[in-house]
Amino acid sequence: MRRAVWPFCLLLAAAAPGLAQVQPFDMSSERPAEAAPTSPVPSQPELAQPPAVPATVTQEPAIPSATQPSAASSAEPGRRYLIPFAEFVLPGEYARRSWSVYLTPEQAASPARLNLGYQNAIVIAPEVSRLRLTVNGTNLLDSPIASPDSPSGLVADMPAGLLHAGMNDIVIEAFQRHRTDCTIESTYELWTQIVPEDTFLSFDMPGTTIWRRVDDIRAIGVNAVGATRFNLVVPSVQQATSGPVVMTLAQTLALMANMPNQSFAISETQGAAPSAGQANVAVGTVSELAGVLSTLPPGAESAPAIGLVNDPNLGPSTLVVTGPTWQAVSDAVNSLGQQVDRPIDVQRTSIVTRPWRIPDAPMLFGAATLQFSNLGVNTFEFSGRRARTDFTVGVPADFYAKAYGEMTILLDAAYSAEVQPGSHIDIYVNDNIAATVPITTSGGEILRHLPIKVTMRHFRPGENTIAIEAVLLTGADKLCAPGATGLDNGRFVIFDTSELVLPDYARIGRTPELSGLGGTGFPYGRADYPVPLVIDRAQPESLSAAATLLARMAVSAGRLIAVDTNASVASIADRNAIFLVAISQAPSMVLAQVGISDESRTSWGETVASIKPDTQATFEQWRDRLRGSGWRGQVSRFEEWLSGTFNVSMDTFRIFRAEEPAFVPGGNASLLVAASPNPAGTGTWTLISAPTIGALKEGVEELTTATNWRQLGGHITTINATNNDVSRIAADSFEFIETVPFSFGNYRLIAANWLSSNALSYGLVLTILSIVLGLATAGLLAAFGRQR
Amino acid sequence: MQKIIITMLWALASVAVIALITLPVSLETQLVAGMSVLVAMMILKLLRPDGIWRLIALAFGTAVVLRYVYWRTTSTLPPLNQLENFIPGFLLYLAEMYSVLMLALSLFVVAQPLAPRPSRVRRDDADLPSVDVFIPTYNEDAELLANTMAAAKAIDYPPEKLTVWLLDDGGTLQKRNSERIGEANEAERRHAQLQKLAADLGVRYLTRERNEHAKAGNLNNGLAHSTGELVAVFDADHAPARDFLRETVGYFGEDPRLFLVQTPHFFLNPDPVERNLRTFEKMPSENEMFYGIIQRGLDKWNASFFCGSAAVLRRAALLETDGFSGISITEDCETAVELHARGWNSVYVDKPLIAGLQPATFASFIGQRSRWAQGMIQILRFRFPPFKRGLSIPQRLCYASSTLFWLFPFPRAIFLIAPLFYLFFDLQIFTASGGEFMAYTLAYMIVNLMMQNYLYGAFRWPWISELYEYVQTVHLLPAVVSVILNPRKPTFKVTAKDESISTSRISEIGMPFFIIFGVLLIGVAMTVYKVYAEPFKADVTLVVGGWNLINLIMAGCALGVVSERGERASSRRVKVSRRCDFQIGQHWLKASIEDVSVNGTRILVYGAGLDEFAKGNVSSIRFKMYADGTEGVLPVTIRNFERTSDSIAVGCYYHPSEANHHRLIADLLFANSKQWEQFQLSRRGNPGLIRGTVRFLRLALFQTYRGLVYLWRALRNRKQSGQAATAVAEHRA
Repeated sequence: MRRAVWPFCLLLAAAAPGLAQVQPFDMSSERPAEAAPTSPVPSQPELAQPPAVPATVTQEPAIPSATQPSAASSAEPGRRYLIPFAEFVLPGEYARRSWSVYLTPEQAASPARLNLGYQNAIVIAPEVSRLRLTVNGTNLLDSPIASPDSPSGLVADMPAGLLHAGMNDIVIEAFQRHRTDCTIESTYELWTQIVPEDTFLSFDMPGTTIWRRVDDIRAIGVNAVGATRFNLVVPSVQQATSGPVVMTLAQTLALMANMPNQSFAISETQGAAPSAGQANVAVGTVSELAGVLSTLPPGAESAPAIGLVNDPNLGPSTLVVTGPTWQAVSDAVNSLGQQVDRPIDVQRTSIVTRPWRIPDAPMLFGAATLQFSNLGVNTFEFSGRRARTDFTVGVPADFYAKAYGEMTILLDAAYSAEVQPGSHIDIYVNDNIAATVPITTSGGEILRHLPIKVTMRHFRPGENTIAIEAVLLTGADKLCAPGATGLDNGRFVIFDTSELVLPDYARIGRTPELSGLGGTGFPYGRADYPVPLVIDRAQPESLSAAATLLARMAVSAGRLIAVDTNASVASIADRNAIFLVAISQAPSMVLAQVGISDESRTSWGETVASIKPDTQATFEQWRDRLRGSGWRGQVSRFEEWLSGTFNVSMDTFRIFRAEEPAFVPGGNASLLVAASPNPAGTGTWTLISAPTIGALKEGVEELTTATNWRQLGGHITTINATNNDVSRIAADSFEFIETVPFSFGNYRLIAANWLSSNALSYGLVLTILSIVLGLATAGLLAAFGRQR
Repeated sequence: MQKIIITMLWALASVAVIALITLPVSLETQLVAGMSVLVAMMILKLLRPDGIWRLIALAFGTAVVLRYVYWRTTSTLPPLNQLENFIPGFLLYLAEMYSVLMLALSLFVVAQPLAPRPSRVRRDDADLPSVDVFIPTYNEDAELLANTMAAAKAIDYPPEKLTVWLLDDGGTLQKRNSERIGEANEAERRHAQLQKLAADLGVRYLTRERNEHAKAGNLNNGLAHSTGELVAVFDADHAPARDFLRETVGYFGEDPRLFLVQTPHFFLNPDPVERNLRTFEKMPSENEMFYGIIQRGLDKWNASFFCGSAAVLRRAALLETDGFSGISITEDCETAVELHARGWNSVYVDKPLIAGLQPATFASFIGQRSRWAQGMIQILRFRFPPFKRGLSIPQRLCYASSTLFWLFPFPRAIFLIAPLFYLFFDLQIFTASGGEFMAYTLAYMIVNLMMQNYLYGAFRWPWISELYEYVQTVHLLPAVVSVILNPRKPTFKVTAKDESISTSRISEIGMPFFIIFGVLLIGVAMTVYKVYAEPFKADVTLVVGGWNLINLIMAGCALGVVSERGERASSRRVKVSRRCDFQIGQHWLKASIEDVSVNGTRILVYGAGLDEFAKGNVSSIRFKMYADGTEGVLPVTIRNFERTSDSIAVGCYYHPSEANHHRLIADLLFANSKQWEQFQLSRRGNPGLIRGTVRFLRLALFQTYRGLVYLWRALRNRKQSGQAATAVAEHRA
């Protein structure tokens, strides 16, 4: 039960220091309120109350599901898939993943079984390797890892009363050892793959898949490949009034479900057959919906109404948002939205990651000291060769300390006498090595708050994963006697009293910088006006893409983003705006503004079929092949050493940067995202485009998956059609956007970061100031003391 | 008003620089910035190393040094909870910060050394003040004193206004009545001898009852018995040139509040370091940095201080403080602090006007330095110049620089030991990666050397300061610790300066240097071992090992310093070219004096045959004195002779038998101060950082070898004498 309580303690703790800093004129949305902080998405079922607005809410579906089973639900009686990803691998000697699943009261009350399907690497020694699964703190599965040839399933009966309505925590741990090999390298060969389609809860009681209250939407979950889909049926989709309402509804649903891979499909009439991880939602006035639905929530003719109906076409758990007029529909949507929205002036305390990772990532807006125990890292004893544990923290989009920033980990750890010098402890930030501490003494040692300086170069807006990995060399491993891999002789321990110490860092928004969009929906998440969204309303695909994109942005931002789908390009020169159009539809001046060549309008898409060889990669290959031959090789080796040791490259020495040429998307790019300052220089314009409207819809769905979305960055990001690779083009110059009120300390740090990324400028300024000081000194010496 | 504006502008510039320097920029930026500043400094040095450009270059250097200080302070200290690392680490930090503080103070002091003043020589004698010349003595022998007194008497000044006093502390009543008969007899003999010598030379002899307050007391006794307006002080072994008073007295007329005119000390003989390293002829002496730059720098801030000798003081000022102060054992500097604090002024004349002797053996050199160090720390302790009321702020900084300097044994010792903590005990007392070390520490060290070169280039070659500090540290550290613990304990000890070394040997206090060298050598071996055995921290090991290697090179060079060379000529010869006549039998032959030293001279005799000379013969030379144009005859003993192309070169010792002969020797040696200046200029010259470093390396390598050879010889001799002793014992048995 402790785990259920502490996120709240954390929320309170993390918010407290920020309370005093509220500035009245600040446009930032990531600020604390004077009032007690609230979680934007309630993580306890008690908080998920129906909206308290004049909307009629149907608590029970009109028709019990048992009498009208749909095709899908009969095929999968009460199945709730657990893995929120398409792929789920437990690597290394020890891996632990934890997350929560939302269950409806009916599901929680039902007798249930847990199914787990997995397959593992053949080199894993089954006798010393174990797979464990824990639900709400109770161990349900603990079995040897012994399924190298084909996936096999494990089943456990859920003890009565273990599940409860709302969030249920699941922990999977894998203890894996190699059969024969004791090397560090061998630990990379260890993996266990959880098969999402075989991993689910199955409920014995009938009707558990049927939602009875609006909040049950949170239990939408995922399908067998970890995806979540909302089908919005909007008969009047072409009308201008419907746009903003539908977009808000999509965002609301996304925030309620908060699954990692959510997408939206909007059509005038068509839903989809009910299945796991999917929901049908009908939106429109009563009169519009009359042609689509057989039943409507009672009272909808006179007042805004949200309710669940059993519809012969759309399924037993169809969410209906309706009312007599569009205004009423809008009110209904807003009433639902209020549950999950966060006011613009309330700073969020954490990024809600619970449906795929426990605990939520605390949001760090400045100096903070966090104990590992509060970050979800428990004291962890380890007897293998490569120990790894990680945690996540969030930083806002105006994080501007990549070039100079350093944080400190005060590590409490110990290693036994067995561990030999040459072992090391590495810190990774977002899978990039950020610090290494060599273990230099033999005979074991207790490290008490050992300070490890970790560069913040690899930090990105949004959540960041920081991993601590200890690579342990021992004499026993060098000998590697039979069975040595499985010995359980605690070699290393990390204590949960270790601390992460983050200093105050520079905060200023930049444009163009797409990583802000990927991290926290910046700058749209903090606009205090409806964000102009330029789309082609005539195309339902265009609306689907917009809904999917905005839902993703809302989840990143942790709040709803109001949009204006009727703005004209001419009127938004001084606003943040989003252009979601096929390349041929994109206005010329927008293309020019975001730095996309006008010719790509016609050329892009034609070459998709013939994928050109990647010149850059080929060049690198040739260079690698010719490396080290002759003195030129030595020069390039010196360059590499420089960049490896000091991160110095030729870029460092540039003072004035050349104008970058307009970008032409390569033939193999399926989607591009490009950002730039708006013409007035006061905000950001972002263009999301693809050769065709269909490609745009698919591309946006690809872009908004959890993994791809976090890779957004730079000035332009493209997605490769063939392998879904994301590539980024960094911006050569920025416009700064002030996000926090002026303070000397912040500007000092901003200067530090800017000068750190423009090293020669620092040398230049230092030289000039030194000359000034020298001249001033000469003056001083002429004025004071004897002259002859 | 203008001053306020300029100060504000300067403060503004400083704040801007400091704001820029304390930005937490990345490592790469530091690297690039450090390199750009280094390049800028080098270019400036090549183009215009003087005037305003010098100040700009120093500002560049300051920026890099401050960046280092900022980084060192914020990121390199070991965590407090690792006390075994933190304590030595913090000591090292303090040592470095002391070095930076001293650099800052010396930057202030020598920011703009005063250019030499135009000469104040006047020819009219009308309103010249009366001058008493004090020659305090304690145990120097009569020969030496005779030269000094003769030179003092020969000073170009109206005789009625010049009184020379020999202040003898070796013949006081207390000494003559000593309980120890031998000592008493010796004092009695000395008393009589000096009295006669003084009378012969026309010098007034003065002694006193008790040896109270050492040199200060002796001088005060002189003050009590004399009346001259001005007082000139010469150490017993410092002989003034003829123009000494002409060059100095004029300033007193210009400024009624002037209490001191100090002139540099010029030495005819090398100090033990110069002697043993054979650098005396080629490289500026150690004290030239002090007299050539630092005193001039102090002079800008009216803080030039009294150095015990070769100075003229105003009696009126001295009376204000009841004479010379005697709380510390460096009464000279202490007196100056007191008078500066009372609003009196001082002037420094950068022209060698006296020539003297300095300690010849390493042991007496260390003895002298111990006295200076202890005395300066006493001043620091009892007068604390930085907060002394009455001193101007620049004067406080100047005195802080002069006194705090003598704490150098602490940081030196720490720098010496620090790398060993890592090499031997694996302590991490400096937390930095190899890359950070390169970007910050290396840049700092190079800039530091360049700044020193900028400040003192022509007067002090690279690494020589470090060498002098190191050779003193070993024995000064205990002396400084003792004076800090017991500030009233040290007593004035007169430094012996007339010793000579007949045979090559290792200094009696030289052994610790060999032990330190050995330990550092083991450190180098440890470095090699660690690089191979622990490749995962090779970068740090290499950096620390490199540091230890620099220490080893320094220690190796010091081995040469403590290996005393045996020498035939105990004193330096000054080149002169002067006509004279050389007596052979009854004839006077034409001859010329080639060089002179304190003890003898070398003469080219024309028109004589070899057979006319014999070793040990007493002869005479006749020459015209600079002083008054009269001719004198000086007896000499022939020591050696050889034929040259057209003459016979004769080396001879002086053979003075009466007081007048000393006047002749003094005239030969000291009459012409121009020749000293020329000699000093001949060895000045800035070799530059790279050439200087290469030279030093070569020197260090050779001296290490020489030191080890001396050690080997010493051990062999001891073994042989041991064997001999055993043999004798066996024989007896």
